[in-house]
Amino acid sequence: MHKNRFDSVFFQRLYDALLPFAAVLAAFLIGAVLLLLQGVNPLEAYRELFIGAFGNKNGLSDTLVKAIPLMLVGLGIAIAFRGGVINIGAEGQIIVGSLLTTFLVVQMGENLPAFWGIVIGMIGGAFMGGVWGAIPGFLKARLGVNEILSTIMMNQIAIQIGFYLLRGPMIDPAELAAGTNIPHSARLARLYDLPRFTDLAQSLGLTKSAEELGLSGFTAELYGVLVEPSRLHSGLLLAILAAILVYILLWRTTIGYRIRSVGLNPHASRYAGMMVERTMVLSMTLSGMFAGLAGAVEILGLHHRMFEPTAVSAGYGFSGIVAALFGKLHPLGIIPSSILFGGLLVGGDKMQRAMQIPQVLITAILGLVVLFVVSTDYFVRKRANRRVSADTSTAHTEDDAQLNVEVQA
Amino acid sequence: MNNGDLTTLTIVVGILHSGIRLATPYLYAAIGEMFSQRSGVLNLGVDGIMLMGAFFGFFTVFKTGSLLLGVLAAALIGGLMGLILCVVSITYQAEQGISGIGLFMFGLGASSLLFKTMLGTVEGIQGFSELNFCLTDSFCLAEVPVIGDIFFHHSLMTYGAFALVPLAWWVLNKTTWGLKVRSVGQNPEAADSLGVNVIQVRYTAVTLGGVLAGIAGASLSISLLGIFQENLTNGMGFIAVALVYFGSWKPLGVLAGALLFSTVNALQLWVQVLNLNIPSDVAVMLPYLLTIIALALPFRRALQPAMLTKPFTRGEN
Amino acid sequence: MKNRWFLLSLLLIFGLVLASCGDSGSETPQTDTEETTPADTTETEPAEEAVVEEVEEEETAVEDIAAEADVTGIAQIRIAVVMPSTVTDLAWSQAVYDSLLRLQAEAGGPDVMEIAYTENMFNVTDAAAAMRDYAADGFNIVLAHGTQYGTSMFEIAPDFPETTFAWGTAVDTGAEQGLTNVFAYEARAEEGGYVNGVLAANLSTSGVIGVVGPVEAGDAKLYIDGFVAGAMAANPDIQVNVSYTGSFGDTALAAEAANTQIAAGADVLTGSAQQVVGAIGVAAEQGVPWLGTQSDQSPIAPDVVVASQLYNWDGVLSDIIRKHQAGEYGGTAYALTLGNSGLVMDYADGLDGEAVAAAMVAANDIIAGAIDVNAIIAGEAPAAADAGDEEMMIEYPEIEPVRIALVMPSTTTDLAWSQSIYDSLVILQNHYGEENFEIAYTENMFNVTDAAAAIRDYAADGYDLVIAHGAQYGTSLFELAPDFPETSFAWGTTTNTGADEGVTNVFAYEPRAEQGGYVSGVVATYLTESGIIGLVGPVDAGDAKLHVDGFLAGVRDTNPDIQVNVSFTGSFGDTALAAEAANTQIAAGADVLTGSSQQVVGAIGVASENGVPWLGIQADQSPAGADVVVVTVLYDWVPTLLEMITANQAGEYGGRVLQLTLENGGQTMIYADSLPAEAVEAGMAAEQAIIDGAIEIVAEPRN
Repeated sequence: MHKNRFDSVFFQRLYDALLPFAAVLAAFLIGAVLLLLQGVNPLEAYRELFIGAFGNKNGLSDTLVKAIPLMLVGLGIAIAFRGGVINIGAEGQIIVGSLLTTFLVVQMGENLPAFWGIVIGMIGGAFMGGVWGAIPGFLKARLGVNEILSTIMMNQIAIQIGFYLLRGPMIDPAELAAGTNIPHSARLARLYDLPRFTDLAQSLGLTKSAEELGLSGFTAELYGVLVEPSRLHSGLLLAILAAILVYILLWRTTIGYRIRSVGLNPHASRYAGMMVERTMVLSMTLSGMFAGLAGAVEILGLHHRMFEPTAVSAGYGFSGIVAALFGKLHPLGIIPSSILFGGLLVGGDKMQRAMQIPQVLITAILGLVVLFVVSTDYFVRKRANRRVSADTSTAHTEDDAQLNVEVQA
Repeated sequence: MNNGDLTTLTIVVGILHSGIRLATPYLYAAIGEMFSQRSGVLNLGVDGIMLMGAFFGFFTVFKTGSLLLGVLAAALIGGLMGLILCVVSITYQAEQGISGIGLFMFGLGASSLLFKTMLGTVEGIQGFSELNFCLTDSFCLAEVPVIGDIFFHHSLMTYGAFALVPLAWWVLNKTTWGLKVRSVGQNPEAADSLGVNVIQVRYTAVTLGGVLAGIAGASLSISLLGIFQENLTNGMGFIAVALVYFGSWKPLGVLAGALLFSTVNALQLWVQVLNLNIPSDVAVMLPYLLTIIALALPFRRALQPAMLTKPFTRGEN
Repeated sequence: MKNRWFLLSLLLIFGLVLASCGDSGSETPQTDTEETTPADTTETEPAEEAVVEEVEEEETAVEDIAAEADVTGIAQIRIAVVMPSTVTDLAWSQAVYDSLLRLQAEAGGPDVMEIAYTENMFNVTDAAAAMRDYAADGFNIVLAHGTQYGTSMFEIAPDFPETTFAWGTAVDTGAEQGLTNVFAYEARAEEGGYVNGVLAANLSTSGVIGVVGPVEAGDAKLYIDGFVAGAMAANPDIQVNVSYTGSFGDTALAAEAANTQIAAGADVLTGSAQQVVGAIGVAAEQGVPWLGTQSDQSPIAPDVVVASQLYNWDGVLSDIIRKHQAGEYGGTAYALTLGNSGLVMDYADGLDGEAVAAAMVAANDIIAGAIDVNAIIAGEAPAAADAGDEEMMIEYPEIEPVRIALVMPSTTTDLAWSQSIYDSLVILQNHYGEENFEIAYTENMFNVTDAAAAIRDYAADGYDLVIAHGAQYGTSLFELAPDFPETSFAWGTTTNTGADEGVTNVFAYEPRAEQGGYVSGVVATYLTESGIIGLVGPVDAGDAKLHVDGFLAGVRDTNPDIQVNVSFTGSFGDTALAAEAANTQIAAGADVLTGSSQQVVGAIGVASENGVPWLGIQADQSPAGADVVVVTVLYDWVPTLLEMITANQAGEYGGRVLQLTLENGGQTMIYADSLPAEAVEAGMAAEQAIIDGAIEIVAEPRN
């Protein structure tokens, strides 16, 4: 996505691209000390992490499964940040989205064709998430309520609504009958499960296993991910498609231009005749829609029923922010960054299990990774500025504007 | 129903007393965050700092029995965590929304890890106890009906939190340093041209925020609860950040926000206890809902520090 | 100074006894000792105890040795000891170290007997490394002075066939595994505990005795059980308050526990493990007599340490040395008893004569076999009806080696849901040994997707039983289970084994929390004076809802005038809000509190501060407030887990719904000693009625 202006710039850019990896390495070095203190060989532990995340079919499918909600939430976060609003409310938006999806699909029983059931479920999720995003957007635009405050508060409200519905109106009748009263909904009809990759492969006639095809090594694992039974579902394709759509929306449409322009400079935008408030509400709504969609996809593709709200949102509202910012708030950048960050989360878990170290150690190391990676931006930016001044051109390139994204609330 | 025994007065006193106590950690953390934001730095890692403070405070008291040392340890580790954020967010100009989340994860992980390795199980300590506040032997404020019940049966940590509010107001509005903090958050270029060291002022403000967040954690572990458990704060730090926005970056506003939030929380607990016919989920929702509504009331408009979340580089622009 | 001469004279008497036997050196059979023990004359008093039913001896033959140490003239020897605390801990580790020093002096100094030691080996992996290093370094005898070192030692021992290893507290010499170079030793701490208990009951004027224990397990538990039995035998009206600090080294907490005990009226204190130095300090400050165990604790406070049960390892160690040098590297299990003078009672000079006399009588009766401490402990176990009692004595079936993985939503230290099952797994592991019973676990799996990955990985990794310890994991489980038809999965709380969906290898389990809740409710009615009980719940659903339903029913059925105020925090982990909810409950008049889930530690803290009794459920929550946790509905997963394991090993991989009930021992009621007798009686009656089906727990609809 970078246009080279000087040959040497290519190497600088390469250097920039490698920097985050150096940062991860640095964070792992500190993590290694922590691991040593726990009596664990860090090299072995990190080997487990990488193999666990990317080295085999199970790890790869876990990573990709995790990348799906990260991607969708990350896209929503990117739209909001681009539009100059901070959305910390994705957690709540995921929850209300998955609630409505579950409600709709449970209500339809098995009466609708699979396709329409899934589409309606997804629209429902996105709609509800959008509503949950629009409220803080509206509160900010009309009443000056800061969206950080309102989104944090609305997360809690969503959780409680979830609990209320799931232990009351939406509870699985079987739970009441058994007397266990677990707060979860009935299972959705299997008809409406998002097809898994293995289902897709089967319908395409790919039924042979890697062994039968004589594949080995990483190719076999990769083939395994796509064809053999795993939890990986077609939500991944949807998420990638969504990323492309968001890219088109933000960079190829007037609405997208407005969103970005309001985000970069609301005053200038107002001066240019844009309706700043309305655009902010729109950004928040779109942002909430993607988080709600993430909830819908999690329900339809993975969980097939709604349960404890916080277990469905599962921290994606926050890790999605990290994924989005690692992806430089660029829709296409979010695709690899979600996969990499998802891999890090998955690998961390695998390392914990393989080495039997406390799970919280992984959390601490991941925190360090985030801190280190986010620090490297500085060097990239510095070089970018130097390039700009060397170029003596006064206009910032689009890339530089991207790198200099600053959140304005 | 025995609740007939409870007079309305008892209930009101109970709610206000609870509300004041519950506001303690929010006040420390939010006042600290206010300084940080006033200088132009958003610290989303408050919750992680609180957890570290809670652990170190608890552990120190657990080992030494000295409450003072506990508070100092919490302040120290809080300051250190704040410094980490300074390096990342100020020196390396990292995206502030994300660096805070990183710090939160680190604090959550590290405090739990320390708990697991150094304590292993939930332990109790004798923390700050609630005092009967007396002026002289003959005149005891704590014994004044109603007023005494509400205001003068709290621990030192709680009084400290409330004393912090006027102190913070004075520091922010009446001292040179306060002026510098406000100016680097509002117009760092102008401050810089007047010879203010923008970076240094931001460093001190964020570190101070960390110190207070650490103490906020300690107020939980060694005052309110007397225990430490993994993820003890359960997201309180994020609420504290929200309260800064509620308070429009003013100490009194933060006080109002913290009191509103915690009093409504106390209210909802009473609502449940009184067996009013309201689902518990709805009751729990109340503080969050009312905080948003209160802020939506038309008479207040937030004046955000202009340069919040914006890094400063000398000679730019 | 204390009565050193008594110790000496006791040794002397034994010396005479041994001499009179004439025929052997150090290996005098126990029977001889019993017959000729002095003070047989005072056999009349404990007639009651003598009637107590006999309990069979330990299956493993435990060799008795005399404490008479004889190491003169031994060949040069090098001994290493690895211990969990320090040689100055005034307790477990110091006792053995002091014995070694005595033997060294007797043997002729360091030239003849070299001693090396490693302290503070609380990390077993480190201890294993230390043991291996010592053995490789040519030490003749390596002592692994802690039960936790067993597994590692059994692994190391075969590599050094000519090195003698010894470990304790244990009776297993590894003979079954073909090990020939391992000795095992144990201290029958309950014997001296019983004697101390008798003494304490005689010393106490307030009728309240305080015990500060570390963790309710092993040596400490033996001692305390014996102590309680002794005190009750001497005076049935006496009240023994036992508080555990939950750690061995927590001096501050032990001190605090002692303070609390004194505040609660105790005028005699005892306790065990190295942490008690804190408690002894408090006892000295308050002038409360202290009864010690393990090592001589009088250096801290000569004035208050009035009696001690001393562990004398001299006899065991010298016998090990002699055997080693005779080419016998292992195979014997030793026990320190009063009878063989491995345990020595030591009384201070100024003690009340009658009390000492009673204690000495008890000691002699134990030696003579007139008092069987273990039988008394077993007979007086607080468990409810006798019929149910036998069922609850868990029989451990023979099992094949098994690998179990546990995926849980919170942590192993949550004092609630997750900890309860983890603790049970550890109990099973301790019984079957690490090599036969492997546990792997993943905590904090609030993200269901991650949990599913963990479940799949464990199954793929060949674990026999994968437990998904949360209702939210069910859907993922049903998806994964068919891929691993020979792996058993289990999840709960639920009754759904997925049979409808054609899944055959999933067990479902559910604790019937309303049962324990009901009993708690019954007990609570006896504790409240204000007529108001407060309940702090997480979310009104699942396990927590059952508990609340049962609790309300129990209260209502016992005393409908009592009001229960129910409040929920809306989360499982909001400790601070739970604390404030407890405060609110107290302000609203509640003087008894209960609640569930991991957040309640906050509420227990508040209860503890306000001195309000707390009724807990799931795990033993006393670490968070030892003095106020008066009733615990303990989830005991051992029977459930065993049922799943045996089914799995019989080729039945799933399909059963397992309930944790009072009847099958899945729930155990623990009543604190401080409870009024009528409350405990009512609680036990309710337990029995639930088991018999006489009580049907009817929940009323709530909001």
